[in-house]
Amino acid sequence: MIFYAKVLETTLLFTMFVLSVYMLSGLTGLFSLGHGAFITLGAYTAGLATTRFGLPIWLAMVLAVVVGMIGGLIIGAPTLKLRRDYFLLVTFGFGEMVRALLLWTAQLTGGAMGLAGIPYAAELPLIGVSTLVVVVFVANLKKTAFGRTCIAIRDDELAAQAMGVNVYAHKIKVFLLSAAIASYGGALLAFNMSFIEPNLFNWLESAKLIVIIFVGGINSVTGALITGIFYYSFGELFRFAHVWRDVLLGVLVILVIVFRTQGLFGNWEFSPAWIKSVLGRKRSGKQGA
Amino acid sequence: MGSSIFVQQLINGISLGGVYAVMAVGFGIVFNVLKFSNFSHGGVVAITAYAGYYLSRNLISDFWLALAATTLIGGLAGLLVERLVFRPIRIAGKPLTYFFVNSITVAMIVQQFFSAMWGAHYFSYPDFFERTAFNISGLIVSRTYLLMLVISAVVLIALTLFLRATKLGIAIRAASSDIYTPPLMGVNTDVVTGITFLIAGMLAGITGFFLGMTYTVTPFIGSMMIKGIIAAIIGGMGSLAGGVIAGILLGVVEALLIAEVGSSVTPIIIYLGIVLLLLVRPRGIAGKPYTVKA
Repeated sequence: MIFYAKVLETTLLFTMFVLSVYMLSGLTGLFSLGHGAFITLGAYTAGLATTRFGLPIWLAMVLAVVVGMIGGLIIGAPTLKLRRDYFLLVTFGFGEMVRALLLWTAQLTGGAMGLAGIPYAAELPLIGVSTLVVVVFVANLKKTAFGRTCIAIRDDELAAQAMGVNVYAHKIKVFLLSAAIASYGGALLAFNMSFIEPNLFNWLESAKLIVIIFVGGINSVTGALITGIFYYSFGELFRFAHVWRDVLLGVLVILVIVFRTQGLFGNWEFSPAWIKSVLGRKRSGKQGA
Repeated sequence: MGSSIFVQQLINGISLGGVYAVMAVGFGIVFNVLKFSNFSHGGVVAITAYAGYYLSRNLISDFWLALAATTLIGGLAGLLVERLVFRPIRIAGKPLTYFFVNSITVAMIVQQFFSAMWGAHYFSYPDFFERTAFNISGLIVSRTYLLMLVISAVVLIALTLFLRATKLGIAIRAASSDIYTPPLMGVNTDVVTGITFLIAGMLAGITGFFLGMTYTVTPFIGSMMIKGIIAAIIGGMGSLAGGVIAGILLGVVEALLIAEVGSSVTPIIIYLGIVLLLLVRPRGIAGKPYTVKA
């Protein structure tokens, strides 16, 4: 039972990461290959704050989010003004930089040996509730003006600008929000695993978070959720296939993009309205027969 | 730092910079034509690093033949990637986003494939030459580094001539400035993009071979591509010449920094430098500013 609870915790945490990337990549069309760096930053801030400075857990979490957002501002402010490729390439560098920074400050962070002894404070209920909040927030984003602005920027930046959207400011807002969620998740991860190391998230982990969204479809939060849950729980449950699952995922991504670009789920969302429409269809079908 | 060590590091830096320059050009040439950041370049680099290792250990003991064969394999790998992954979405007219996603997926597949196959093994290339270094009036110059420098220079000059003087080269340059008009002039876009990926693949082949010789071959060798990308940014996206200058510059700065402050701080300084550069002069050394939406 403990094993399955562990799998569930990990899956939920990664689902949160997928959703933070969904906001950024799926809705706004910005790609961060260093998103893992925010998770790492959050994890290390939380870990260091509690083990080295003896701060309470809640304060450590707040600090983690603040540090993640500061990191986001440093990277976002110069690059989000430019063509999207710069953002992508610099976030890639940022991921490497955070890793180098952690290795360099080994006296404080433990360097390559990792940081151990972080209090185990994030149990299933906290992780579950946090993930649920993020899910509800991101799922409703598409219905709000904020989310629709994101989609407008993704689909046509010039047109969005012409309609009076401050593209740069909006991109920064989305990026900071996404970084905040990621670093909060990172803090939870640290309090859940009790041990963290600099190589926890390399560029590949960040890339995986992005491609998972494309399997489900960039217009479907449900798709991102289902693919994320499936991928990460699968990885935990079938460790023997661990090394090959990324190759399989990659092949699946390419097949989906070439043959079904809108993703497996397209525009479909799981919602009360959808349930109602399905039930309604059945009932009317019966009446017809 | 003594002056002889300084000159030594300078030479090493220029040589490694030559490899970065080749990488930056391989990345940039695809960026110019299709306007997306081609991360699959790193994947092709990794493939060729392994292929070069296999060839030189088992089949070909001659340095030049092994290099030529690896280059060819790189070119073929580039063509194959274009054919399987990018051509279908290009013909369907998909947005650039999907090109990018496909390219990181290719890099991911390659890295994880090698991890799964030989993740636990580190391979090193054989010594091709009996004399591995020259002693030029007190300076010790590694033969590999010297070869790297000379070959990178020759390759880049040859590529420049190709792009300037041949019909195909001109077609590639035309497609770089605008991919929609050349077909109206009777240029076959499929051939042009195919050739572009072939060239990028061959450049990746040379890079992969040299990186394999300089470092050990691991599944993560493809992420060395970050150096080429940094060079492309510093040089100005879309400018091949800028990428070459920036590549050599990066090699030198890196070598000197490592000698002066150590290898753990160097990447931090370089990345901070890039963020600053983008803040001050985003167009890089030579490039035109790119503000068009991706």
